[in-house]
Amino acid sequence: MNEILVWVIKTGFIFGGLVGTAAAMSLAERKFSAWMQYRIGPNRVGPWGLLQPIADGVKFMFKEELIPDGANKWVFQLAPLLAAMPAMMTIAVIPFAGRVELFGQDFGNLSITDLDIGALYVLAIGGLAIYGVILGGWASNSKYSLLGGLRASAQMISYELSLILTILAVIAMTGDLDLRAIVEAQNTGGVWNVLEWNIWYQPLGFMLFVVATFAETNRHPFDFAECEPELVGGFHTEYSAMRFALFFIGEYCAMTVMACLTVTLFLGGPSVPFWAAAPWFVGFAAFLVKAGFFLFLFIWVRWTLPRFRFDQLMHLGWKVFLPLSLLNLLATGVAILFRGGA
Amino acid sequence: MTKIILNGREVDADPEQPLIHACHTAGTDVPHYCYHPGLSPVGSCRICQVEVRMNAEAPPRVMVACRTPISEGMIVDTDAAPAHAARKECLEFLLKNHPLDCPICDKAGECTLQDYSFDEGQGAGRTVEPRRKLEKRKDLGDVIVLDQERCILCSRCVRFMDEIPKTPQLVVSQRGADSVIETFMDRPLTGNYQGNLADVCPVGALTLKPFRFKARVWNLQKSASTCAECSRGCSITTEVLRNGELKRFRPRANPDVNGYWMCDTGRFAFEHANAPERLAGAALRNGQGWTAVHPIDALEVARDMLVTHGTALLVASPFLTVEEGAALVALGRELGARPMFVSPPKNELADDLLHTGDPCPNRRGLTELGIDGLSAHDILAKIAEHESVVLVGERVAELMGPEALAALPAALRMIVFDSHLLDVPAADVCIGVPIHVERAGTWINIDGHAGRIAHARPAPAGVQLLTRSLEGLADLLTSETRAR
Amino acid sequence: MVIVKRKTLSFSERLYLPEIVRGLSITFRKMFAKRVTRQYPEERLETTEVTRGQPRLVVNEDDSIACVSCGLCEAACPAYAITIDGQETDRFIEREPERFDIDMLRCILCGFCEEACPKDAIYMSDELELADYSRAALIYDIEKLKRPKSALEQRIGYVNKINQRWQTPSSTS
Repeated sequence: MNEILVWVIKTGFIFGGLVGTAAAMSLAERKFSAWMQYRIGPNRVGPWGLLQPIADGVKFMFKEELIPDGANKWVFQLAPLLAAMPAMMTIAVIPFAGRVELFGQDFGNLSITDLDIGALYVLAIGGLAIYGVILGGWASNSKYSLLGGLRASAQMISYELSLILTILAVIAMTGDLDLRAIVEAQNTGGVWNVLEWNIWYQPLGFMLFVVATFAETNRHPFDFAECEPELVGGFHTEYSAMRFALFFIGEYCAMTVMACLTVTLFLGGPSVPFWAAAPWFVGFAAFLVKAGFFLFLFIWVRWTLPRFRFDQLMHLGWKVFLPLSLLNLLATGVAILFRGGA
Repeated sequence: MTKIILNGREVDADPEQPLIHACHTAGTDVPHYCYHPGLSPVGSCRICQVEVRMNAEAPPRVMVACRTPISEGMIVDTDAAPAHAARKECLEFLLKNHPLDCPICDKAGECTLQDYSFDEGQGAGRTVEPRRKLEKRKDLGDVIVLDQERCILCSRCVRFMDEIPKTPQLVVSQRGADSVIETFMDRPLTGNYQGNLADVCPVGALTLKPFRFKARVWNLQKSASTCAECSRGCSITTEVLRNGELKRFRPRANPDVNGYWMCDTGRFAFEHANAPERLAGAALRNGQGWTAVHPIDALEVARDMLVTHGTALLVASPFLTVEEGAALVALGRELGARPMFVSPPKNELADDLLHTGDPCPNRRGLTELGIDGLSAHDILAKIAEHESVVLVGERVAELMGPEALAALPAALRMIVFDSHLLDVPAADVCIGVPIHVERAGTWINIDGHAGRIAHARPAPAGVQLLTRSLEGLADLLTSETRAR
Repeated sequence: MVIVKRKTLSFSERLYLPEIVRGLSITFRKMFAKRVTRQYPEERLETTEVTRGQPRLVVNEDDSIACVSCGLCEAACPAYAITIDGQETDRFIEREPERFDIDMLRCILCGFCEEACPKDAIYMSDELELADYSRAALIYDIEKLKRPKSALEQRIGYVNKINQRWQTPSSTS
């Protein structure tokens, strides 16, 4: 079969799935928050409000778009795209499942591509997400936006360090930058494949990583970029209509990617417990279930914890997380040294 | 004057008048229905009972105050318990047949039966017999409707017709419990004084047709004023509803001029005052049409016309107040002209009671200011000799005759101060003025009594006082003369 | 001066994580709690006889309006919401309103008009909703205020019941 066609189908499937998940998340966010507050949540559009994301999309498209006086128009219009793009690009290297065979056709592994330096790619592209936020905040010509953008950039830089250091520990264990290799190293066969997941070897790293993803995606309790009581809406205060929506799509895409990355790095990716040789669709389902839990966790935490103070955030990032992740990396290195290399 | 002791206080009393008059003069309220200060007392309602002792030794007795003559040193207590008890019993009888339709009754709110029932009466009736069923809507001519059920048979209306216009038409017919007020053979009432029947009626039995069910009396804003219909200048009360609509003129007691009465002509003379489409601000002729302008701008245009077009003829309305007349005379001095006012011919409404038949309420005031009354015909003849004319005051165009004014040549410069726009070819500037219920001032009646007219409601937005307009025009002319 | 003694946090509290888990467990349990939302247009508040909604005018069984435009409600209205003009009719009750406006934006639903009415012609209905596109449309005229007596029966019964507490029997009618 034509390799390009296969590639296009896979890209379309995964990318469509990502955007669809982002849309579903906007509904899930509201539904779960409502339930946690004894409410019902959106229930007017479609059965149980399922078509709410479509209604929102239509509304955003038809709303008037305002560009503030004195804003840097070019950058202002570019920023939302920059915010949404990196997350969508990162999804390319996530290994969702193994070899896919459908209708007698071989579609290869279920991921858009398997880069040798997948982990490096994720870190490199993920680091770009900051540009959307800071440019949007700066170009708006508004003090709230600027403060929101500055906070977001400071926060993302601080936590990216911990994030990278914890990933480094995982990479050190596997000895490979390819995410698929990392996944496969966690599922080498046998009934007790669940014990091969990195979460058992990197418990501290796992915890640090999960918390750092919250900070990376500007989610509660670290959503200083928006921080309504202080900054109105933070970096997107001046945005409206579809560009406003793009920031949100970007945020939800980033959440999805981070959830997928957590599953890949620490929970064995598509690895099914006690069934090492599971067919690809079972593995894919297992991946979705695991990622779904982390997506739920994002929402769950948001409606449970209050927002940190900014100095507490910085304190946590530089004085707690950075030393801990360095320690974690050191301990991993020492362990690898004593066990005779990975 | 005779001295009596009223409620422990020594007061002077007029021995020619009944005791109730002395009480009222001294400021002590004594309830009364059949008694009216302008009519002969009959003592039929018995509500005015007070406790009287002829001297300090005499025993107290409850007597009707309206039929008790004054005697030196009598001791009167209007507030004694036996007096109250007597009034209360009396009210119970009065209310026995009185229908409780106060929500419908036009008198509600100014009804003394309501007031005294509230003061003295009992809350609920004791009788179980049905009330009298009588005619509720008996038509008594063009002015009055009679509700026989509400009538308490005080006979004030009968006495009014007998004593004031001296045209007896109403009677109490039948006897005892069957008594009702009627006209002979149910003929409609006649005469120019029927409206007073509604005023003298202490309850809502006699009501005015034009006012029937139109407004509640407590919603009417009342101000003391003077009637504009003839040179008698009866003292009246103007009553204005919330939206500024005049609802009633009612006589106000003034022994020097009108006593307690007024004629129907004056009573119902508010059609002109309620007329719509008033001229607000001012208007300038603009080709065939008119342009609305501010009065000050209109005055400047008027000044230019008066300066360039020779000596103007100043024609005033007979409704001008003394104050406005003085301002007009001052303006005339500035222009070198002597103003005159339109004097319509005497009408046939004159009678020997109140109406003088002369429709100029301020004839005497204006004449004493040196403004002479001329007929419209004479004034038109004078206009023909002038290049410019100034018409001043409400209804001046109406009294001059709109047809006659329309026939004047367009070349004539005409400046009009009137309440309505005068759309005739000759008119060039029209400046709105307030009508007599919208301004304060003084009219001098035919006997020389000053009558104040009251600002009963606001003039339409943009209308400025006539005195102000005239003084403003005079000022503009002064500065023009000085500039030259 | 008040000295607030801060509680010293235990080690597990200082570690955050156990407390976060505790919080998460609370919110998770609440997801299955009973909902308090009322689905407004479908689920309405139950109106009872004491519900004091917007005032409405009673229309008798013979389609005549009970109001005689006596103006007592107008006088009683503390918000000056009512404006009445009367006119004559051919019916036995000689008077009826020509104009009866209630400015619903001014109305404070106090019920004074209901209490003042001598003809049992105005009652506080169970209608509570008030929305329109202009202020002028919210000045309700007589046609908007008319309601058949049957629609107000509940409130009329309640008012009569309350009035019986202090009314003395009387032969006057």
